Amino acid sequence: MALKMRYLELNRKVRDVRMLAIQGIAEAGSGHPGASFSAAEIMGVLYFHKMKHKPSDPLWEGRDYFVNSKAHSAPGFYAALATAGYIDTKEIKTLRKLGSRLQGHPVMYSERQKNHSFPGIEYSGGSEGIGLSVSIGIALAKKRDGQKNRVYTLIGDGESNEGQIWEAAMAASKFKLDNLVAILDRNKIQQDGFTEEIMPLDPVRDKWAAFNWNVVEVNGHKIEQIIDALSRVEKVEDKPSIIIANTTKGKGIKHMANNPQWHGKAPPKKHVPILLEELQSEILIAPSIIAGEPENYEEKVRRAERAGADLIHLDIMDGKFVPTTSFFADTIKHLRKISSIPFDAHLMIEKPINHVKEYIDAGCDIITVHVEACNESEFVKINKMLLKAGISPGIAINPGTKFPSWIIEHLDNIDVMIIMSVNPGFAGQKFIPEALDKMAEVVKTLKSNNYKGFIEADGGIDATTLQQVFDAGARIMVAGNAVYGSPDINSNIIQLRHKANVAIETKLLELATINDMRSDWIKSRKNMLIPLAKELSIEEDLHAIK
Amino acid sequence: MQLSDKNIISDMRTAYGKTLVELGSKDPNIVCVGADTTDSLKTKLFGDKFPNRLYNVGIAEANLVSIAAGLAIAGKVVFASTYAAFLPGRCLDQIRNTICYPFLNVKLVVSHAGLTVGPDGASHQQIEDISTMRTIPNMRVLVPSDSIAVKNLIPLLSYTPGPFFMRLARPSNSNIYEDNFEQFDIGKCNVIRDGSDITLIACGLMVSKAIDAAQTLEKEYAVSCRVIDMYSIKPIDVDLVYHAAVDTGAIVTIEEHSIIGGLGSAVCEVTAENHPVPVNRMGIGDIFGESARETEIESLLSKYGLSSDHIIESVLKSRKRIKK
Repeated sequence: MALKMRYLELNRKVRDVRMLAIQGIAEAGSGHPGASFSAAEIMGVLYFHKMKHKPSDPLWEGRDYFVNSKAHSAPGFYAALATAGYIDTKEIKTLRKLGSRLQGHPVMYSERQKNHSFPGIEYSGGSEGIGLSVSIGIALAKKRDGQKNRVYTLIGDGESNEGQIWEAAMAASKFKLDNLVAILDRNKIQQDGFTEEIMPLDPVRDKWAAFNWNVVEVNGHKIEQIIDALSRVEKVEDKPSIIIANTTKGKGIKHMANNPQWHGKAPPKKHVPILLEELQSEILIAPSIIAGEPENYEEKVRRAERAGADLIHLDIMDGKFVPTTSFFADTIKHLRKISSIPFDAHLMIEKPINHVKEYIDAGCDIITVHVEACNESEFVKINKMLLKAGISPGIAINPGTKFPSWIIEHLDNIDVMIIMSVNPGFAGQKFIPEALDKMAEVVKTLKSNNYKGFIEADGGIDATTLQQVFDAGARIMVAGNAVYGSPDINSNIIQLRHKANVAIETKLLELATINDMRSDWIKSRKNMLIPLAKELSIEEDLHAIK
Repeated sequence: MQLSDKNIISDMRTAYGKTLVELGSKDPNIVCVGADTTDSLKTKLFGDKFPNRLYNVGIAEANLVSIAAGLAIAGKVVFASTYAAFLPGRCLDQIRNTICYPFLNVKLVVSHAGLTVGPDGASHQQIEDISTMRTIPNMRVLVPSDSIAVKNLIPLLSYTPGPFFMRLARPSNSNIYEDNFEQFDIGKCNVIRDGSDITLIACGLMVSKAIDAAQTLEKEYAVSCRVIDMYSIKPIDVDLVYHAAVDTGAIVTIEEHSIIGGLGSAVCEVTAENHPVPVNRMGIGDIFGESARETEIESLLSKYGLSSDHIIESVLKSRKRIKK
């Protein structure tokens, strides 16, 4: 099914949440980056996609409720509310300071607390294990009054040590609260260490099932899986639902990830520019299923998803705009049924204006058309259709095409720009080195026009070229042969990820060096840099630290 | 003061349940939450009348008050009730963070407070609740002395926004007030009888003991006692306490609660700051209670220093103290 989520915009907003949260924490000198980051996608999906709410009218009666039971994720929570429009993003810098509306742990808004809260905060948290019970109260009241409001509650796995969570688990199923959805941020880390050492929670799925809840498990950093789960649980009647979101504490900043030391610690302020760069350096890998052996597409989608691909790149070729023919909307419609992974459709077809609706209906999440295949007015029409359907619009440009200036007008409505590094038409072509200059030039133009979307590199991207296109500005990597060219898809994706890591670390190291904190930076990321020492040429630096 | 001269025995919990039913008929927004004690607390009367407005969460006090908070967030006026031993005994954190901090419309009405719960013993004899509830910002604390007080105070609770804690006693007792007496307000108290030599300030079941003691003191010792029913301990009627100190020069407080942090402490806070006079705090010393059969309740109270005779003794000692 199509998720109608404008995937790339949502992805970007989640990144904004992390960027805001880390700035707030660094400014405050304390706070909880780990939990803010593990729950960023969950809160992002709720606030930017799923929940019925109005930032301009926070107390609107028809709103869905979000109860942030694991309230120490406050920096991420405030950042999500700011990104959604409840407060100015600048206010994040007051976090935890005297007189701030952004208290260390959020307090429910009321006239009495107007100096310590703002409209949109529904619940006062801070003491663990309580929010689920409070959500039951809200859900009971709404149900009794025949209201449609739904209640979403974020709980933590450390928090699940509290007995009250299980009191609430019993009560919610007794009251058949199908308007209540709990989301468990299963990052497996609590303040003192790993949850399974401090107080084992597994088998967590069985526990909730035994309490008679409808249980769904997802990767909590995959937006599409969270959305898919939230839609599925809506159909369940007479039972509360829990989504077990498997997450990584500190996700987004590598030296914080999965490290209990970063449960409640602020990074030094001087690191912030590098951390922000890291968050903006995330690379999405998009395997292109026309590459490799002509085996069935279904299998290719499944295997890539299992191996951790971010998107599936679909090359639609009509034999007219390009010399070859690949597949069309009916194939995509079929593939859509087997997976919720975002479909990145690249229409290499003549007159896309006449066909784009077929691809919308087929369940694509990103649809890109070529500048060579439409004029501005056609593009605008296509763009409107895509935005209306909740699909990320993209535009692609061939190596030989001059960047058309009319695009500048529409940058706010373009989520991705594909810059071809081969002439489209066949899988398995060689990367055109001149494409790098073009990419750098286009990126420069886009940046100067405040473009916020993604740059996607397509054509000949593999372990040898990835770093170059990354440096030129690409963050989505279409990988054809590099993924499907040899049988071990899993290893191929791991290898690309490794190269992506090297590219990112190199960039961050450069930035640290420019900012005169090279050794300090290496020190704080030592553990994860050691395996990359040779590739990054930092053996001496590491030795000096020891 | 319209005091009851007939010996009408009634119990506070039934008054609570009946008043809830009356209020519930007028205000569909009122709901109740119980914790496997709805029969005992008489909230079942409300549930019988409005089956989908009473939620029984089982023996889970933390859940009880937190669900109450959620109902209040969604706009309900919520009465949450169970035994005082466990509410607030078991859920102080939830009351503090989830109800008082956001100033939610949750009314905690608990029963079986003090020693008079009787045979269940010290585990069930809540003697710290006034103290703990009083210290939480935004919380108001009421201790009615009879079912007439309950009948009048419950509507005030339901109309006044924000959190309240009200403690009821388990035993039935003689009505202090006439049936139609209505003079109750939050932050006020009732002067049951005037007097000039000393003031007895009591709450709950101890009010009638204070009245008994005052009568004896007048007849047998010619001591004129002012008696105050301090049903609102927070906020407390600062004026009346101040005037008692100024007019009578000595105060004795009597409560079925620890002498630490309860009514006695609240009165001392007023006198110490405004007009220091000797205050003798009568209550349960810094010790736990014990079991006693229902027929032994008076002996139990007496053993822990809470009888009319003890009050008389205390007054006479206080008088001597002033004369010195």
